[in-house]
Parts: sequence; structure tokens; C-alpha cells
Amino acid sequence: MELFSPVATSGDPTKAARALLAELLTKGVVKGVLVPARSARGGAVAHRLITDPAALEGAEPFAPVVPVSGARPAAALTARPAGQPLAVVLRSCEIRAFVELVKLHQGSVDDLLIVGVDCLGRFENRDFAALAAERDDLALAFLQAAGDGAERVLGKPLPAACTICEHPVADLADLRLAFLGDDPAARIWVEWVSEKGRRAQAALEREPGAPPAGRAAAVAALVARRRAAGEHHLGAFRERTKDLAGLAAVVSGCVTCTNCRVACPVCYCRHCVFTTDTFQHEGEEYLRAAGKWGATRLPADNVFYHLTRMVHVGTLCVGCGQCSSACPNDVPVMELIRTMAERAQARFAYEPGRSLAEAQPLATFQMDEHPDVTGQVK
Amino acid sequence: MADTVQDATPAAAEAPDPAIGSVLVVGAGVAGIRAALDLAEVGYRVVLTDSSPAIGGILAKLDYQFPTDHCGMCKMLPLVGREYASQYCMRKSLFHDNIKLLPFTEVARVEGQPGAFHVELRRRARHVDTDVCIGTGACEAVCPVEVPSEFNEGLTRRKAIYRPVPHNLPNLYLIDMDACTRCGECVKACPVDAIRLDSEDEALAVDVDAIILAAGASLQEPAGPGDLTSYGLHPNLVTALELERLLSSSGRYDGVIHRPSDGRPARRIAWLQCVGSRNRKEGRDYCSSVCCMFALKEAVLAHEKGGPGVETTIFYMDLRAFGKDHWRYRERAERDHGVRLVRCRVRQVQQLADGSLRIRFLDPQGEWQHGDFDLVVLSTGQTPLRAGGWLAELLGVPADRAGFFAPPGPLKVATPRDGVFACGALSGLGDISDAQVSGSAAAGAASRLLHALGKKFKPEPDVPPERPVARERPRVHVVLCRWNHGKMPAGIDLEPLRRELLALPGVGAVDIVDTLCRGAGHEEAGAILRASTCNRVLFGACLPYVYRRRLKLLAQTAGFNPGLTEVVDLRSTIQRRLADEPAALVMAKVRRQLEAPLARLRTADALVVSRMPLSQEVLVVGGGLTGMRAALSLAERGVRVHLVERGEQLGGGAAAATAPAVDGLDAAKLAAEMRQAVWESKHITVHRHGEILETHGSLGRFRTRLRNGDREEHVVVHGAVILATGAGPASTDEYGHGACDRVLTQDELGRALAGGALDPATLGTVVFIQCVGSREPGGREYCSRVCCAGALAHALALKQRNPGARVVVLYRDLMAYGTLERAYTAARGAGVVFVTYERDAKPEVAIVGGRPQVAFTDPVLGEPVSVAADLVCLGTGLAPNPTNARLGGLFGVELTADGFFQEADAKWRPVDTLRAGVFVAGTAHSPRRTGEALLQAEAAAHRAFAVLSRRELTAARVVAQVHDSLCARCQACIDVCPYHARTFDVADRSIRVDAAACQGCGMCAVACPSGAAEVLGMGERQHLAVIDAALRDIGPGMSLGVR
Repeated sequence: MELFSPVATSGDPTKAARALLAELLTKGVVKGVLVPARSARGGAVAHRLITDPAALEGAEPFAPVVPVSGARPAAALTARPAGQPLAVVLRSCEIRAFVELVKLHQGSVDDLLIVGVDCLGRFENRDFAALAAERDDLALAFLQAAGDGAERVLGKPLPAACTICEHPVADLADLRLAFLGDDPAARIWVEWVSEKGRRAQAALEREPGAPPAGRAAAVAALVARRRAAGEHHLGAFRERTKDLAGLAAVVSGCVTCTNCRVACPVCYCRHCVFTTDTFQHEGEEYLRAAGKWGATRLPADNVFYHLTRMVHVGTLCVGCGQCSSACPNDVPVMELIRTMAERAQARFAYEPGRSLAEAQPLATFQMDEHPDVTGQVK
Repeated sequence: MADTVQDATPAAAEAPDPAIGSVLVVGAGVAGIRAALDLAEVGYRVVLTDSSPAIGGILAKLDYQFPTDHCGMCKMLPLVGREYASQYCMRKSLFHDNIKLLPFTEVARVEGQPGAFHVELRRRARHVDTDVCIGTGACEAVCPVEVPSEFNEGLTRRKAIYRPVPHNLPNLYLIDMDACTRCGECVKACPVDAIRLDSEDEALAVDVDAIILAAGASLQEPAGPGDLTSYGLHPNLVTALELERLLSSSGRYDGVIHRPSDGRPARRIAWLQCVGSRNRKEGRDYCSSVCCMFALKEAVLAHEKGGPGVETTIFYMDLRAFGKDHWRYRERAERDHGVRLVRCRVRQVQQLADGSLRIRFLDPQGEWQHGDFDLVVLSTGQTPLRAGGWLAELLGVPADRAGFFAPPGPLKVATPRDGVFACGALSGLGDISDAQVSGSAAAGAASRLLHALGKKFKPEPDVPPERPVARERPRVHVVLCRWNHGKMPAGIDLEPLRRELLALPGVGAVDIVDTLCRGAGHEEAGAILRASTCNRVLFGACLPYVYRRRLKLLAQTAGFNPGLTEVVDLRSTIQRRLADEPAALVMAKVRRQLEAPLARLRTADALVVSRMPLSQEVLVVGGGLTGMRAALSLAERGVRVHLVERGEQLGGGAAAATAPAVDGLDAAKLAAEMRQAVWESKHITVHRHGEILETHGSLGRFRTRLRNGDREEHVVVHGAVILATGAGPASTDEYGHGACDRVLTQDELGRALAGGALDPATLGTVVFIQCVGSREPGGREYCSRVCCAGALAHALALKQRNPGARVVVLYRDLMAYGTLERAYTAARGAGVVFVTYERDAKPEVAIVGGRPQVAFTDPVLGEPVSVAADLVCLGTGLAPNPTNARLGGLFGVELTADGFFQEADAKWRPVDTLRAGVFVAGTAHSPRRTGEALLQAEAAAHRAFAVLSRRELTAARVVAQVHDSLCARCQACIDVCPYHARTFDVADRSIRVDAAACQGCGMCAVACPSGAAEVLGMGERQHLAVIDAALRDIGPGMSLGVR
């Protein structure tokens, strides 16, 4: 049964959310909250672990920006658990990536309360900084302007990843800060989702009730719009990259800076193989490669870099779009990975972030898998 | 399967050292191969002969084996010391440094005694010089003679010159001189003059210390008297082995089942069981033991291959699915695939106008029924090989009328003749796993004899010190062979190739040698390499399957690292291409073909072999018959054994056994004898009231803490462990057991009769109920295998002591497999009444006036029957030892769903577990009878001995390792490792690899995204270089060179 409690916002949903998070601290539900926030000295929004309720004054749970995927700081915080109850405030894509990291032993959900936030998308970091400099009520203005799923909000485009995101509601959260289907200027809602969430509800002494009336329809309409946009967008991209020449053209602007892999929440290697000397060839080899067509590109490994990333994150990609946001040369990395990931995930009937209990496809050994691909003769 | 090539080494070069133990294994079926490999692994010299031109016996023709429905023959290859044996598909070929393989060879005469057998052999002529043949197939194409192919059971035809097993590598030909017309066409067609029409059989002699007979079984001729004489008249009536060839991808139809008569897909298929077996009139008074599972497997395969619309029916008398997990397989076949099982005797198979076959049968209710089928498969049973007089002479006993030899003692691999052992079908008809167990057990028995004779085993090859080259710039020395003593095909000159190769990066020197594999050429190459300043070698020669070992050894003797040596088949490539292409183009392609191995060598790391010290002691858990037998077997070979028994007394259930055994084995007497031997052995330490507290380590170096009766804790360091925890008699509260003292389990009946509490003379009517709590969902979902034998033994004994007694056996399938069938026949002859019941209509027992009243349905009349019994005896079977779960957890061995230990592979590695160094035997493995458990004990002991006989463990060069600084600790590598070779060290927060358990399969490297899990010698750089080299001319490289 869905259990919701309303929280009146009096025109400032951010403030209402801060008060709720503060209550988690003061009532001893958790000892710390990881949440996007500004420091007391101002500056950029970043994930901060807050233990002092007063410091929650800088918290920005609804700010339309994700400077880095929160999956990474959440994993860093829990990989070697502190042994104290903590809360993390994350969006859908961040939670789904975090779930994959937990399966990879890079983080843990023990003693962790995951607070999910409804998501209408985010701005690119630079656009957010520009808009935030202009107005103080950016969070509320964004929620109101983006409510119907618009692709441009307050004059700025949302990242393509957000415009095709079919997960506006955070799935595996313990409790949710919900506003879809209602007016955030009047109230937001807390949904008590899991057993852990309902224990928090008891500690916070809130009356649980029915979900807001318009929520289901609003979520369905948003998902439908984004899914249609996704089919169109990725379909067009698939056409562009249907052969190796098309793929090479798409990544030709790549300078192998590996920013996309640093930004990717599920690319969890300590050191990327592309920063080692694995692809440092003998001079003579470069000459022979050039000799084949009269010319060869250096650095030579940009196509291979993206093919490798497809293999590594293909089954785990949650579509957050941090890769494309991090690219200095506008390589459509998100589209590249997602077009491939859709098929890879469908083949293994695997959806990253769906469940902690589902084993990752590449982390299981089966004798008789996909004989059509492996060529295994039975 | 493996057709083999004779090594061209001159005989004088390998005059055997008489101090090293040597064994002749006669018969290269899977039992013989198992025995040979198990002895070779220890370091004994083995001569393995087979009368056929190929090895593998019947299994060469079976692509699919129950229960995986795959082939798994390669699982027989050694896992430790794997560099001394072939590491590729065994259906193609086999080699081991310590095995001399002599196919197409028969034993002519044997004389001598243990330690000094002189054996005369006759090697039959192939008429094709296998050293020269390159397998072009030109001879086959021109041969005008066609005869039915034995390999495909006559379903296809072959020429007089042919490959006995088509998938063998290399492609070795043979002339069938009975079919050959000596027209000479093949001699003209052969480009290399390999055909010797006038060659003759060759006489050979070997001197060996012991002999293992693994002569095998043959399949019953279906058209024999008393069986289905219509076989051969109806094309759609085939044998099970013919169906196997119909199903095979190397068979007639590339894996789809068609009717032989008209090639139409076969949708309705029936199997007729017991063709050629269980036929007393014809003297075949035994059960073939394997056909029921064989038919079930084929039916399942027919559904998998044929898809929806396939209907399968098996007509049977008793469905003898008595082995480990067989009952579950049967259930799945019925439930998931819809295989229909009909219990009946088939009376007639009649051919209809369209080629279909109509089967008329008497159904269980005694009604005549018929069904029409596209294909009818005869489950032809195994029959002991009727070998010539030398076999009986060797064994020292004549065979009985069915062809079986009776072993003198409880261990079925021992024969009455000293120094001669038997395995495979000679020790009883069985399946692949039985062959593996008896093969290992025979090897163990032979090894005990060799130890008693004071024979040594060969130390591991003397490896000269390798020149350390890790810090040198890679430089490859290429040695090209000008074969056929330098007489090259027209237009082929290696000199331009030599110059081109010299210009390639990383190539330090290129030399051309005439006939590299032998004589002067071999010596010249050795001299060249000894003087070389390079650090890697590439041989361009021929047939790498044959010569790789020799050439690697040549390079190694010259100081090269064998891991940095490659052999490429230059000759076959050139000769095959020359048929279609001009010489210049061929040579250009050959040059490019050499680039990939050159790239691999150039980027290969110089790996060294790591050696680990090894404890030669063994821990045996469980002091029953199995545990004691394993301990004694090892102790006889000087191995120190710690035998841990949980109870007060050694002997387990057998010590108190009172029930008679149909095979005459007196378990209690055996237990007493073995107990005495254990106490007298100075190599065995017995820990009574022993309990294992904790264990660490891996193969070769386990440390186990245990507590025994003296209340003190001991730490035992041991190299291997044998789990022999046994199983106990199961109890029940069904059928009034516990409520009435006239309802007893078989175990209780034995004790009551032995103790005099029951007098057989007072038992007028006795009813046996079988499968109590067994073979039913929610109960014990397996066949306990001992209860039918137990009921037969009890019934026969009762009838003997009280001939007037009325004895009724209520059963579902009477598991009288093998020669147990004789006891079944004898019991029926003595007047015991056998009545079947179905799982959903069990008999009922009511206690009336203190006496059991048994009600059941007469299956023929369909009428209810009620019998007032003086005694009801329940076949409750065996239940696994409840401590298995704890021990399994400690030693890292999984349990089956039924609570028995899970072996590494049901068919091919029955006493190994997936954890290296941990073995399992006896009823801890699965229910089995005493003799069968003892064989497993001997097999497990020898498998452990084979590993521990080395002084140190040599990890293979190709093993996985962890780059700790790259490792993200995601542990995906641990989850995917099929050999349990990886663990996460919690204290250290790092991944550990057990180098001895690791098989270098590379799953970890696949799962690891960061390159932290790496298989030595299989680095990413190396693979990329090879791929780039291979793709250089046909497209963009992977890591380099996108336009």
C-alpha cells in the first residue's frame, strides 16, 4: 500500500525539505545526511555530508543540477561503513547507479536510508550556475516550469539524457520527496516506501495517508512523453552509427580525455586501462598502420576506447547522461552507450538498478548462455 | 576418438629405466584412458594399447552425455601438472609425456610375473605412413570402393581409404584392406607418397611391471536370436547408437533427426528397452545398467532438437534410473519435456505402407494397444566383450556363460592373477562415471603393487635453467623447416620468406633447416638455438599437434623459455593452398599468417614457473568401510593418513551389518578385517570421537584443527582430504512403522533375524514394500540403490530357510541392475511374487489385531487385493549424513539438493570435487552398495595420491593473478571463477588466487573491467597485437589504425 504524508511548503519547497531532513537528524533517525548543498560561504552546489542540523540551511535537494552523480559520493561514504545510520538524498538515476555499485561491493545499503527525490531533469552545470546567479527561487521556478516535461526550461535546454529519461520517480528509495501531480508551491509529499522508510515515519510521528490525487496520471503522462522522445532520439542516432564508419565519425571528435569515464557513476575501475600503457604501440606499428591507408589517426585508440566502455558499462548503464555532460567536445557519449545498452540489457533481461537481488549479467558464470553469440555447439 | 600419430623418436632414445614403474593398459576406452592418465600423472610409464585404430571406445560416437547433454571428455585431463598432457578436445587426440599410445595394436602373448611381464604385441598395418600424410583427402576422393561407415553405424558410407574418426586431428588415414581392391588410384593421387599398400603388421614387445585390462564392452547385436528379428528389414528401426549418430552434428543429418527411409523429419519416436539384455533364454541374464538413462537422454535430446510437435515414448519393464540424480532427470524428462513412459512388453513391430512402424504392446492392464511411429529405437544393451583365450588366461579365471569374470575379493578391480587388474566393463557393466571410478581404482591397485615392488616414479622432467630474459628487448629466432629432406613442392622456395621475415619488427634471426623433426635437421636446429642471441623461438614446421612437445623441448634444452616458443604448421598451409593458388601468392599469405604468432611472441611476458611446497599427508573424514579402505590404500604407499571418526568404533554401518548381501559380501567381516589392518598400520593415525573444528588452505597445504577423544586439539597439515562420511539407514512412520512390531525396516529385519528375535519358520507371509519415502517429491528425491538388492537378499534368504513362506515384493521399478538381475530371476524362480505399484496408488497397511493387513491393487486384474502378513518389511533406503552440510562449508564443497557431496563432474570426475585437493567417496557421494563404495574409496585415494606424489606443486605458467593497485575489489572475479580459485581476504581487503587450483581459463579476466584480473601469458597487449596482426590486411585493427 502506498503511504504518503503531505508537507506544507508555503511557497518554498526547499525550506520544507530542509526542515524534514533536519528532523531526521534531531530525532536521531540518522547521524548524518548526504545531500546536494552549498557551503556556508556559498559557492557551487555539491554533495555534502551534513551532521549539524543548522548546516542544512545550505541544502538544495531540488536544485536542478547534478554536479557529479550522487552514486559516487554515496558509494564512497558507505564502502567501508561507519557503523552509524546515515541518509542519502538522491535522484532516480543516482539511486539506480548506486544499486549497481553496491552489487559490485563499492558501497553498502547497511544502516542507510535512501531518500529519493522526484526528478524533472537537471541543467548542465554551466547553465545552472548562470541561472542561479540571476535568481534565488530557481528550484521552485524550475519545478513549476518543467512540470509538464518540457525539453527547454527557463530558456535553457535540458541534457538529452533527461529529456528521454523514463524514470522520474526514484524506484529503490526508502522514502521519497514527491511533488509530481501536485503544486510544490503549496505542498510536497513524503512517501514512506520501504520497511526502513516506515520506521522513519514512526520516528517522525507522521500520519500516513493516500497518495496525492493527480500523481499517478502525472507520472504516466511524463513517462509517455519521455519514452516517445527517447524512441525518436535514439532511433535517429542508431541510424547514424549503423556501421563502423558512422561510429568512427561520431567519435572522431573524441580526444580520449576519459572525462566521460570519470563522470560515469558505474565506471568503477580505480585506474582506466586507457590511462595505462596497454595501447602504447611500437613506433613501427604506427607506421605500418598508417601504411595501410596512407594515414592513421593519433591518438589511435579513440574508437577502441568507446567500444571498451560499451562492454564495461553496457549492462549497467542507467542513462544519467553525466558522460555527455562531461565531454568537452560534444561527443554524444550518452547516445552511444544507451543505444547499445538497451539491446544488451534486453538480451540479459536485466535492468540496472531494478533490484539488489538480481545478479549482474557479467558477474555470473553460466555454461549455456547465448549459444547463438558464443557459437557454442551443443 | 583420438586417432594418434606415432612419435618419430628413435627407439634407442627412450630405453626405459627399469627402476621406474611401468604398466600396460589394454584397451583405450574411457576406463583405460582414466587408468592410464592416473598412472601417468604419478609419473609411472604407461603403454596404452587399443585394438581399434582410434581411442575412446564407444564414447567416440557419443556427442551428448547425460546429465549435461554435452560432451565432457576433456574433463578427464589432469588439472595439476596439466602442462605434461594435451589440453584440447580429447575427441580429437590425446598425448601425455608418460603415456606411449599404441592404437591398432593387439596383445599377442603375455608371460612373466608382477614386476617382470613380457608382452608381445602386434601392431596392425595402416598402409598409410602417418609421418608423411598431410591429410589432403585426395586419396579418399579417388578411391572407387564404398562400404558402410562403422563410425556412423552404417548410416553413411565410407571409402576403403578413410579416417576412422572423422573429427580427429590430425586427419589420419587408414586403408581397410578387406575392402581395398589394390587399384592403386590413391597411390597416384597422394601428393606426398604416403601410401604403403604392401606394408605389414609389426611385432612389438614391451616389458612392464603390471597389466590393467580395460577391454571394454560391446553393444548387443539387435538382430540376435530371441530379440527383434525384424531389425535390418525396416529402415526406420534403428539402434540407440545409430540414433546417436543421427543426432550428431558429425553424423548423417548434421544434428536434425530424420527417418532413414525417406529423410522426412521424425516426429513420433519410440524406444524399446531391454533389447538384448534381461533375456534369460539367450543366456543374457543381466541388466545392461545404462540403457534406461541412455533412452531418457535421447528422448530429451529429441525434444530439444525437434522442438514442439515431437512425441517420444519409452516402452520399458523397469525404468532403472538408480544412479545419482537420475530420478530427478527422469522426472524432468516426463514433466518438462513430456516424455511418455509406458511399462509393458512390446510384442510386435510392423512396417506400414508409408514406412512408419506400428508397435503392438500389452499395456499394464493386459489390454492390447498399438501406436504408430516414424522412428523406433532399440535400446541395445551392453554385453561383456567376448575376448580370446589370452584374456581369460591373463585374468586367471574363465568367464561365466554371460562373459563376466568374478573377482576373488571385495575389490572388483583385482583379478585372481597377481599383477593383473581389471577395470571398465570387466569389473561390471556401468556408465561413464563407473568407468572413471574403476579406472582410477585399477590405477590405484596397480600403484600399490608397484610401491610394494619398490618401483619408483619418474621425477618431473629435468628442466634446464632458463635464461632470464624478462629485461631483454624481445627478439624472435625463426626456424623454418624444409620438409621431406629439402625436396619442396615446385615453386616453393623458403629463402625469399626468410628475407621478408628478417625485415619484420622483433625478428632477430631466421634460419632454414632440412627436416627439423629428426636426425641431422633436429641436431642442426639445436646447435643453431644454443648459439642464438634471441630470446624467443618460432618454428615453422608441420603438424603442431604431433611435434609441438618435441620442438618445445628442443628450444628448452637450448635454454629458451618454453612459454616463449611457438610452433606453426607451415607445411599443411602451403600444401593445401598450392592446390588452388600460384606459389607466389601462397608464400605471401604464409608470410602474413606468421605475423600473428610473431606478434604474440614479441609481446609475450617471460613467465617463470612457481613451485610450492606440498604436504604429503592426507586427512580422511569418516571411519566407515570407505574411509578405512581409502586410508589403507594410501598407507600401503607410505602416505601418512589421519583418519577422523566421529564415533567410538571404526567400521560405520558395516561393522554392525547383519543383513545378507546378494553378492556375498560380508560387510561386518570386512569391517573387522580392515579395522585390524588400520590399527596395525604405522602410517595411519586414528582420531576417534574426532571433530573437525576449522580448516584453512588449499591443495597441497591444508591446515585443519581437530579435536578427538582425548579432548586435546590437534593441528594437522595435509595436502588433500577425502570426505567419506557415509550415509545412514533412513527411517519412516509410513505403513504402520513404529506402531506395530511386525512392520520393520530392512535394517531392523536383519538385526531381528540375526539376534534370534525372529524365527523365519514362524513367518508364513512376508510383504516387502519398496521405495518407502524414496523417489517422491518432498521425500528423498533419489533412488537409494541398496533397497532392491536388500529386498532380494532377504527374500531369497527367507525362502531358503522357510520354503513354504509366501513372499510378496511390492515395487515401483525393480533396480536389479547389472548382475543383480540374476538375484531377481532367482527370487522369481523361488516363488517370490513381484507386484508393481504406482506412486499415486501406494499400498496401504492397516494393523488388525496386532497383525499388518496389506492392501494393494493387482495391476493385471485391476482388482484390490488384501494380504494378511506376518511381517511387513520396508525398503527405506539411505539418508545422507547430517554433518555433510557443516563439512561442506568448511572444505568449500557444495551439497546436492539431496544433501550428498557434489562431485566436480557427474560423469568424468566422479570422486573429485570442484575444490582442488578435496575428494569424496562412498555413500557420502551418493547411495551405493558396499562393493561400489570400496571402488570409489580406492579411486579417491589414488586421485589424491596422484597429486601428492610430487615433491612440490608446480603451478602452471598460465595462471591468473591480481594487480592489486588496479583492483577495485568488486569481487566479480570470485563469483565467476568456476574452480573456486579466488577468495577475498577480508583482513587485507584484497583478492587472493590459489595458483594450484587456477586452471587459467580466463573467466576472471573477462569479468574484470580494469585489467586487475589477468591471466599470465594472456595479457591484453598481447591479444591486441595478435588481433591487429591478423586483421592487418582485411580491415581496421582493433586498437590501432582507424582511418
